[in-house]
Amino acid sequence: MKLLEIQDLTIHYVTDDGTVKAVNGISLELEKGETLGLVGETGAGKTTTALGILGLVPDPPGRIVGGRVLFEGENLLEKTPHQMRKIRGEKISMIFQDPMTALNPVLTVGDQISEVILLHQKTSHAEAALKACEMLELVGIPAERAGDYPHQFSGGMKQRVVIAIALACNPTLLIADEPTTALDVTIQAQVIDMIGALKEKIGTSMLLITHDLGVVAEVCDRVAILYAGEIVEAGTLRQIYQETSHPYTKGLFGSLPRLDLEVERLSPIQGLMPDPTDLPAGCSFAPRCPHAGPLCQSTPPRPCEIAPGHLVRCHLFDGGAAPKKEVL
Amino acid sequence: MPVPLLEVRNLKKYFSTPAGPLHAVDDLSFTIGQGETLGVVGESGCGKSTLGRVILNLLPATAGDVLFDGESVIGVSREKLLALRRNMQIIFQDPFSSLDPRMSVSELIAEPLQLYKVYRTRAELTEKVESLMETVGLAPRLYNAYPHELDGGRRQRIGVARALALDPRFIVCDEPVSALDVSIQAQILNLMQDIQAEKGLTYLFITHNLSVVKHISNDILVMYLGRMMEKCSSKELFTHTLHPYSKALLSAIPNPTIDGRRERILLKGELSSPINPKPGCRFAARCQYAGPQCFETAPPLEEVMPRHFVACHRVREINQL
Repeated sequence: MKLLEIQDLTIHYVTDDGTVKAVNGISLELEKGETLGLVGETGAGKTTTALGILGLVPDPPGRIVGGRVLFEGENLLEKTPHQMRKIRGEKISMIFQDPMTALNPVLTVGDQISEVILLHQKTSHAEAALKACEMLELVGIPAERAGDYPHQFSGGMKQRVVIAIALACNPTLLIADEPTTALDVTIQAQVIDMIGALKEKIGTSMLLITHDLGVVAEVCDRVAILYAGEIVEAGTLRQIYQETSHPYTKGLFGSLPRLDLEVERLSPIQGLMPDPTDLPAGCSFAPRCPHAGPLCQSTPPRPCEIAPGHLVRCHLFDGGAAPKKEVL
Repeated sequence: MPVPLLEVRNLKKYFSTPAGPLHAVDDLSFTIGQGETLGVVGESGCGKSTLGRVILNLLPATAGDVLFDGESVIGVSREKLLALRRNMQIIFQDPFSSLDPRMSVSELIAEPLQLYKVYRTRAELTEKVESLMETVGLAPRLYNAYPHELDGGRRQRIGVARALALDPRFIVCDEPVSALDVSIQAQILNLMQDIQAEKGLTYLFITHNLSVVKHISNDILVMYLGRMMEKCSSKELFTHTLHPYSKALLSAIPNPTIDGRRERILLKGELSSPINPKPGCRFAARCQYAGPQCFETAPPLEEVMPRHFVACHRVREINQL
C-alpha cells in the first residue's frame, strides 16, 4: 500500500474578484521512506497542495472542490476536524518556510517542542521536557538552550527548532515547505544534510516543496513539476534531469545560471504565469510555449506515460499536436 | 585592463551599537574598470549591501575614499554629490517596497528626470519615459498602471528603468533578482546584460547567489564579515578557488544536476558577530585549517597568483602553491 496517494485533488479560492484555481486535479503517490520533490514557481499551487493534505486550507475563501487524499488507505478529506488534529503533528507534520514567523516568540523553544509531545503522547510534563531536550540534541542544538526564546537563536538555529518540533512524534510523513529558502547557502547545506540524516534514522517519508532544482537533486528520489496548479511532468530524478521532456521543465533548466556550465546567455521562458482566475482554455502553458500549436490553445492535454513512471502532460507526447519544429 | 571608473580605497563603515562598533565594511580596496561588472558575494550580514550604499554615499563612510572617474564621492558638498549621483545609480533588492505605491509607472520613471530638470517640455519627458519603458520591456499599456497591479518581474523592470533614466555610467545592483522566480530572474539578467552591452555601463553587482554572479561578472569579490577574503576574475574563482571560505561557499551550493556530485565542505557553526570582532582572521572560528596565527593577526590581502588576491595566512600551504 502506498503511504500517500492523492487523486485528482482540486482546490479553489473563491473571492469577490473571481475564483482562483490554485490546484487543478493533482494526482501523486508517495511510497514509504521515499522523498518526493514538488517543484514550481510562485503561485504554482505547491503550498496549497500541502495545506490540502493537512486539511489546513483556510475556508473561506479556500474550498476543496474534489479529489481524495488517501493516507495509509484512509481519505483525509472525510475526517472530522477532531480526527485531523490527532493526525497532524503525530503522523503527518509540516516544516514551514519561514522559521522567523513559525515559532511563538513568547514561549521557550523547549516548551514549544514539548507542547507537541504532550498533545499526542500520554506523558508527564517532566518526561516531555526531557524528550524536548533530546530532540534539540538531535538537531544539533545543545540541550541547555531549551530555556531560550526564539529571538535568541539565529535563522538556521530557528529552522532546526522547527524541524525538532516536526519530528518530535516520529511522523510517518513529513511535509517540508521550502525549508531552506530563508537560509544562507552554508547554513542551507548544514540543514539539508541534517534533514537527510534524520529522515534515514526515523524512516520518515518526505514531501519536499521547493523552487530550487539544486536542492531537489540532492535530496529527492522522485520529482513532480507543478505549473498553474497542474503536474506537468513527473518522474524519477534521472527522468526529470536527463530525459527532460515537458517544454516548461526545459524552460526552467534553461533559466538557471549554472556553476558547472559556461552559458553566454540564459534562455528564459517568455512571458508570465497565467492569471489563476482566468486560466487558458487549452494547455495552461500554451501562451508561453515555443512549440504550441492550435490544439494546445483549445484542448487541455492529458497526462501520458512516456516511460515507466515518467508522466508528461503535453500534446507533443500524447499524439495530438505535431511539434512546430523538430527540437525534441 | 580597462581604465578604472570606480576606485575604492581602504573603505570602512562602522555602525555604533550599544554593544560596541559594528564593523560592516572593514578596509576594502578595489577598482572596477569602465564597462565591467564586479560581483560582490557573501552571506547575509557580511556587509555587501552596506558597501553598495557607502560607495554611493547614501551612508557616510567612517574612513577611506571612493573615487568615481578620479573624483572623490566621500565628504563632498551636496551640490557636487547631486551632480555625481547623476552618473551613479542603484537598483534595489525588493521591487515590492522600493516603489512608492501611490505613483504610477510613468510617474515613477519620470521622477529622476524631473528632479534633475532634464527636460523643459512635457512632450520630451513623455517621449523619454516611453523609450525607457521600451528599453526595459514594459508594455506601453502599463503607462498609467500602479505598482500593486504588477508582478515582481515587471516591478523590477521599473526599478531598472528608474536607474537608467539619467543615463548613468555606473549602477550598483543590490540583489536585483533575488526576489524573483527563476524564469523571471533569467529575463531580468538578460535585460541587464543587453543594456550594459549597449550603453557601456559599469556594474557593481551585489548578490548571495554564486551562480548568478558567475554568470554576470568579470571579477568577483568574496566578502565575509566586512572583510575581503578573495578577489579574482570570475573564471579564476571557479577554476582555482584558493580561500577556504570561498571553497566552502562554492561547495555548499546545491547543483541542479544528478551526476558528478561534489564533495561538500560543511562549515562548522554560524556567522559570528561583526560587533567588536576579535583580532585575527574573521573566518578563523569556522575554518578547518585555522592555526594559532589565524586567531592573532588579520591576514593581509596578497596577490597569490596574477590578479588573484587572497587574504589567508595559510593559502599557500592549503593549496600547495
